[in-house]
Amino acid sequence: MAEPLVLLRDVSVRIGATTILRRLDLSIAPGEVIGLFGGNGTGKTTLLRLLAAQLVPAAGTGVVLGVDLTGGDRVDLRRRVGMVGHTPALYAELTLAENITFAATVTGTDPRRGLDALGAVGLGQVIDRRASRCSFGMQRRAEFARELMLRPALLLLDEPHSALDAASTDLVGQLVDAVTGDGGGAVLVSHDRERIEKLSSRTVELVGGLLR
Amino acid sequence: MTVTTQDQRRGVLDVAAIVAIAAAVLVAFATPPEATQGNVARLFNIHVPSILVAYLCFGLTLIGGTAYLVTRRLRFDHLAVAAAEVGVVFTGLTMLVGMIWAKPIWGVYWTWSARLILTAVMFFGYLGYLALRRAIDDPIARARRAAVFGIISIGIIPIVHFSVLWWRDVHQPPTLLRPDEMQIDGPLLAAFLAGLVASTLVAAALIVRRYRLAAREAELDSLLASADVPVAGDAVTAPTLDGAP
Amino acid sequence: MTIPSRQPLPLADAVQPGLRRQMMAVARRDLRRELRRGEVAWVTIPFGAVAVLAIPLAIGIDVPTLNRVGPGLYWVVVLLFGVLVTVRHTATEQGVAAVSARLGIDPAAAYLGAATASAVLLVVFEVAVGMIAVALYDIDPERWPWLLLVVPAVAVGLALLGTMAGSVAAGATATNLVPFLVVPLALPLLIGATAAFDAGLTQPGGILRWVLMLLLVDVAALVLGVLTARQLQETG
Repeated sequence: MAEPLVLLRDVSVRIGATTILRRLDLSIAPGEVIGLFGGNGTGKTTLLRLLAAQLVPAAGTGVVLGVDLTGGDRVDLRRRVGMVGHTPALYAELTLAENITFAATVTGTDPRRGLDALGAVGLGQVIDRRASRCSFGMQRRAEFARELMLRPALLLLDEPHSALDAASTDLVGQLVDAVTGDGGGAVLVSHDRERIEKLSSRTVELVGGLLR
Repeated sequence: MTVTTQDQRRGVLDVAAIVAIAAAVLVAFATPPEATQGNVARLFNIHVPSILVAYLCFGLTLIGGTAYLVTRRLRFDHLAVAAAEVGVVFTGLTMLVGMIWAKPIWGVYWTWSARLILTAVMFFGYLGYLALRRAIDDPIARARRAAVFGIISIGIIPIVHFSVLWWRDVHQPPTLLRPDEMQIDGPLLAAFLAGLVASTLVAAALIVRRYRLAAREAELDSLLASADVPVAGDAVTAPTLDGAP
Repeated sequence: MTIPSRQPLPLADAVQPGLRRQMMAVARRDLRRELRRGEVAWVTIPFGAVAVLAIPLAIGIDVPTLNRVGPGLYWVVVLLFGVLVTVRHTATEQGVAAVSARLGIDPAAAYLGAATASAVLLVVFEVAVGMIAVALYDIDPERWPWLLLVVPAVAVGLALLGTMAGSVAAGATATNLVPFLVVPLALPLLIGATAAFDAGLTQPGGILRWVLMLLLVDVAALVLGVLTARQLQETG
């Protein structure tokens, strides 16, 4: 069996003095897509940030893409984990093309691949528009284009369908397929059970800081 | 409640500090007034030991911060914060006592000497260190950032020191009665040493107490995290608006 | 439990570019963003100009006095308001932190790039406010050649210290923390710049040691910043 992309054992996460996740176990195999559900404030986003090496476990061991979350090279890991979160991770003053080109330059990717991806998500006509003048849905799509360009080994999507119009909801599935097709994995957080279940190979629910 | 040996040891330190203060006060007033400055000179028995102790404290903060970055053990961060807080108090005390001394002797509260400016910079620098700590919630992030800032500050402070020294060469302040011109003879030296011992013991007692407090806070913090206390999300319940008017 | 070893990743075909390339990309990004926001041009420089204008109103409008204290006051304004240039976008933007985190930019490159952009903007700030100070305080323009050394040296030092303090205080709840952390450490810049200016007038040989001191601050901040950059990034 191939080595898991993610292996969390007994992991607790705290933010300040508040415990968000407690003694949580999770394993994600290559090609797997996890649908993650849970009520408001149960820690879904926290779990994604943990996997994206933006938080450190307070207890337990976690290994993501072969990198130890506590002691490993987290900066390197971040380049290989794709995340599209609640708040658009784009520079508002820069155009969509500039945003993509910057991401390409600092990661050593060919920017032409990014511009192609902007075309693929339907933003080819507006690449010179500043991110601040794009709608939330357009910014979402631009972030999808970034992830299509960077091809992360682990893709984390927080409420991926929100703000997308009917014509572009399929984008989520295409992005996930692109990543898993390369042997990567994905975690999709959503309240929209129906849509997510169609895309996922397995679903889990966060209750009381634990996965069920 | 049982009294542990650790508590007892701490108790001894507290008692020693109090006894040392009393002894220092007695010795200070048993000695004759200083020849040129009179009774005001007695303030030096607080002023000089305070700044020496403050330097010692900031040294401990540096050691604690560096040790934290190397070992990632929070106990070194506790040492760093305990020493920094006590160091700031003693630096403040040094400046306050110095000002009280300076007014009758120099006629002003403050003079622009290199040493004074550097002391003030150090005071505000470490006040910044404490402000930084207050502004960061997460204990790990706080420990790391504070340690880094402590190291940066220490790196820059020698430059601040020399720049101020050179600057003072250019702006020569009026020559006044200076503390280093004071005659130190036997009894006055005894009073000074008594002050030094008392200050050191007080600082040590305060650091130990503050360290214990930080350790207790961390202990409480980890108990809250590991015990079967509900996680934050459990506090959010389903809305109950159904049937509301 | 076996911890999987680092996997060879065919997925990310990219090779991480070198430090200089990343640094330049970050600097270009910051300058372009500032060009479009215009915060330095429309807020910080006018704010500094108001400060230069306000001081004579407080200390009295006596031209010889102003001429004498003018250079010193100018450098105080540069120090206190220049810090605002370095913190211009650390305070508010969550999204920006998210991008940097996502892209895994080398922390040293991020530090040097951000400081480079800030240094360029600080030179602009110093020149703009300096011209206003020269006009208002009737400062002798004969001394200006020294400024070709002093202005960039102060800009670089303040940019490096400000960027470093910005990342130390990232995510902190107190908004004005960065200036408070920077200013005590940046006093040598103030002293050096002011003294260099005085020395340049009276004793041409004396200026050298002040310029060297400014450069010493720059080098110290550069080295400390690069060495601590990863520690600060890692806190996430």
